[in-house]
Amino acid sequence: MVGPTLYSFYFSLTDWNLLKSNHHFIGLDNFRALFVDSDFWQAFTNTAIWTVIGLFASLIIGFALALLLSRTRIWGRAIKSMFFLPLALSLVVVGFIWFWIYRFDFGLLDKVLRGVGLGFLAKDWLANSSTALIAVIVAWAWQQISLSMIIFLAGLTSVSAELIEASQMDGAKWKSQIRHVVIPSIGPAISVVISLALINSLKTFDIIYVMTQGGPYGTTRTLSVLSYREAFRSYNFGYSSAVAVVLFILTVIIIGGFMRLAKWGGLNEE
Amino acid sequence: MKNSDAEIRKNKKKVKEYRYSVFMLVMGVIFLIPAIGVFLTSFRTDTEISKHGIWALSGNLTVDNYLHMWSSSGTRIYMRNSFLVAVPATLFSVILGSLSGFVLAKLKPKGTGVLTLFFVSGLFVPPQILLIPLFQLFNKIHLYDTLWPMIIVHTGYGVSLCTLVMKNFFRHVPDALLEAALVDGASEPRLFAQIVLPLSRPAIGALATLQFTFIWNDFLYPLILARSESAQTVMVGILNMAGQYSTAYGAQAALSIIASVPTILVFFLFQKQFITGLTTGAVKG
Repeated sequence: MVGPTLYSFYFSLTDWNLLKSNHHFIGLDNFRALFVDSDFWQAFTNTAIWTVIGLFASLIIGFALALLLSRTRIWGRAIKSMFFLPLALSLVVVGFIWFWIYRFDFGLLDKVLRGVGLGFLAKDWLANSSTALIAVIVAWAWQQISLSMIIFLAGLTSVSAELIEASQMDGAKWKSQIRHVVIPSIGPAISVVISLALINSLKTFDIIYVMTQGGPYGTTRTLSVLSYREAFRSYNFGYSSAVAVVLFILTVIIIGGFMRLAKWGGLNEE
Repeated sequence: MKNSDAEIRKNKKKVKEYRYSVFMLVMGVIFLIPAIGVFLTSFRTDTEISKHGIWALSGNLTVDNYLHMWSSSGTRIYMRNSFLVAVPATLFSVILGSLSGFVLAKLKPKGTGVLTLFFVSGLFVPPQILLIPLFQLFNKIHLYDTLWPMIIVHTGYGVSLCTLVMKNFFRHVPDALLEAALVDGASEPRLFAQIVLPLSRPAIGALATLQFTFIWNDFLYPLILARSESAQTVMVGILNMAGQYSTAYGAQAALSIIASVPTILVFFLFQKQFITGLTTGAVKG
C-alpha cells in the first residue's frame, strides 16, 4: 500500500504519457500546470461542494432519522431494514435507480412536478449544467445518509433510557434534551460520521461515472474523476498522478486536522 | 377503578405507538421509492413502459425481463466472476486480518505502534493514488485482464480494515484465559485456532458480511484492471450491458436487480452481523 503511493508521488514529477516511449523527470511542472488549469479548479470546487453538502446531509438528516427510528417500538426491525436497505446496493445500482428519477419527461421528478402544477420546472436534471451536480450529490447522499443513520442509531441506543427519563422529569423540553443530554453522549458516533462523510466525499467516483461521466461541461467532475480521466482517457499518467497526489494530500490534511480537532476538543461539547 | 385507569392509559400509549410506527412506515416507503420504482419496472414489458411511462402502476406483470437477462451469457459470466473475486478476497482478508490483529493485540511485537499506523493508513489512502501503479504492476506481471488483480487488491485493502477491527476485538479477550491455555501446554498456533477463533466468531461474521458487500459492489478496480468480458465483474458488466439495452428499461432494471441479489440476500440474512460490522468497523464506506 505504501509502495504504490510513493510511486504515484514519483510519477507526479514526470511527464509520463503512455503514448510516448519514454518519460523524464520534470520536477514540479505538473503541479505548476495544475494550478493554472481551469479544469483542475472546477474539479476542486465541485469536490469542495460535494464534501460540504455530504457532511451536512450525513450529520443533520442522518441524525434526525436515527432519532425518529430510535423511538420506533412496533415493527421496529422491519422499519429499520427499510432505511438500511440502500447500504446493500452498489453505487452503480444507486446511480441507475436515480437516473430514472431525473430523466427528462419520463422521470419521476418531472412527473411529480407536473402533477403539482410546477411543470415549468421540469427538465433533464442530469443534462442541465446548473442542476447536474446537486442531482448526483442527492443520489449519493441517499446511501450515505443510511450509513450515518446506522452509526448514529448505534450511538443512541447506548444513551441510557434512564438518563433521558431523568431529564424529562426535570421538565426539559425535547430540544434542550437533545442538546444537553443526547448529543454530548454520542460524541464518538459524531466523529465517526464526520470522518466517513469526508473520506467518502473525497473519493466518490462510481456514481458520477455511471450517471454523468463528469458532464455536462465538467460540472460534475470531481478530483477523483479528473484523475481517472487524465490517466485512462488521455493517458497523461504524470498529470493524473499529480491530481491524485493533491487528492491524497487533501485527504490527509482534512482527516488529520479533524482527528486532532476531535481529540483536542473532546468533541463532547457540542 | 384505578386498574382500568391504568389500562386506558396503557391502551392510549399503545395507540400512540402504533400511529408512530405507521408514520415511520410511510416515511420508509417514501425513502425507498427510488428502489421500488426499479423493482416494479423490472416486471413490465417495454411496450408497456413506452406506452405508460416508467412510473405508471398499471399493466400486467411479467418475469420475461429476468428470463431474458439470465439467458444472456454475459450476465452469467459477470456474476460468476464477481463470486470468484468476492468469496476468496473476503476469506483471505478476514483470515489474514484476524492473524495480524491477534499478533498486534496480544503478542505485541516490537514496533506495534508503527505497524498499526501502517494498517490504519490503508483505510485513508484514496484509491485514485493507487490506480496507475497497480495498473502498471499488473501489466508487468501479466495479470492484467484476469481476476487475480482484483482478488489481490481487495485482499490488501481488506486486511487493513480486518486487522483493526480484530485488534480491537482481541483487546477485550482476557489475557488470563490465554495464559491458562499456555500453561496447559498449548502452542500459540493451537491457542489461536482452538480458543481465540471460536471466541471471535461474531466479529468474524460481521467482517465477512461487510467485506463481501464492499467487494461485490466495487466498481473502480474492475474498471481499471480488467477489460474483456471473461474477466469482468458484474458492476462494470451491468454498465456495459446497459449500453446495449439503452432503451430497454425493463431489461436494465432486471439487470440491476439480478446484480444486487447477492448483497441484498446477505443484507437480509445477516443483517445483525452486517450492522455490527458497519458500526464497529467504522471508518470505511
